[in-house]
Amino acid sequence: MKESVYDVFARKDRGDALQHIGYIDAPDAELARVYAWNTYNEQNWFEMCIVPRAQIIAVNRTDGPFARKEAVS
Amino acid sequence: MSAAELTPADLDDQGRADLRRLILTLADTKRMLGIRYSDWLLGAPSIEAGIAASGMAQDEWGHARLLYALLKDLGEDPMPVEHDRAPEAYASCDALDAEAGDWADVVAFMAVVDAALTVLLEGFAEGAYGPAGARAGKMIAEEGFHRDMAAAWTRRLAAGSAEARARVAAACAAVLPRTLAWMAADDAAATRLADAGILPSADALLGRFAELHGPVLAAAGVDLPTPDRSDWDAERGRGPGHPGLEAVERARGDLNRELFVE
Repeated sequence: MKESVYDVFARKDRGDALQHIGYIDAPDAELARVYAWNTYNEQNWFEMCIVPRAQIIAVNRTDGPFARKEAVS
Repeated sequence: MSAAELTPADLDDQGRADLRRLILTLADTKRMLGIRYSDWLLGAPSIEAGIAASGMAQDEWGHARLLYALLKDLGEDPMPVEHDRAPEAYASCDALDAEAGDWADVVAFMAVVDAALTVLLEGFAEGAYGPAGARAGKMIAEEGFHRDMAAAWTRRLAAGSAEARARVAAACAAVLPRTLAWMAADDAAATRLADAGILPSADALLGRFAELHGPVLAAAGVDLPTPDRSDWDAERGRGPGHPGLEAVERARGDLNRELFVE
């Protein structure tokens, strides 16, 4: 089963900054939503969202989890 | 919410007995479903799927506790109900009497049993019995993720190998007839509950299930069958049989009985 990495972001309260809280592996976006919630819902988040890591464009780093060598289409 | 909201004081002895059966139908099924999900914390197809199964198990156990607590409003102590009943007294959905044999069975528990349980709970919450509506909101919100998990996994297996498709279809088809009968009880007690506005009618519940869950099951090649109401046990509101002793011992907390501090 081909899986992709999804990064998970959340904010505690309305108006708080969105924080990167972790990541999950999932075969599609639908399951990624469910997995993100079940993995990170120990806190009472006001809002949680996920982003496919492949869609995150590195700005100033060429290392670390978000750096990518190939161009993002 | 119904304009004429009912409280326990509005019910006669028969009404309270009918309501007690309904509460146990819901609560026992949530407790057994939690056990069946918890078996797959390890052994799911991925770590994330196992964590999701674990989270769903916690949800179901929390909901069961809240539902058993509804018995207090009827003047009954939930403690003996939760910890002292024999397997033969459990009103849980027939499909959960045995553990899941593989992940396809777990997906069928999600797509059929959990789905039917939430249709029944929503019907109860939207009905005339006030304490149900007050307690069910958070439960129903949490169940949204269970429904998404069920739909995603059912579609995923259905779109997979021929064997995966055949196994999920067979697992769903195996549990549907009894689960639909359990959800849409069609006996004297169920008729009285529907007449009192506490629950939708059997036909309305079946219609709601078909509307919400029929399309996902159809995508897996599963048609909705006629409910199997043979050998109906009107006392518990389910078919014959009961969950295995091992599962009930876990539900009752037998191993830790001497350590209870409540």
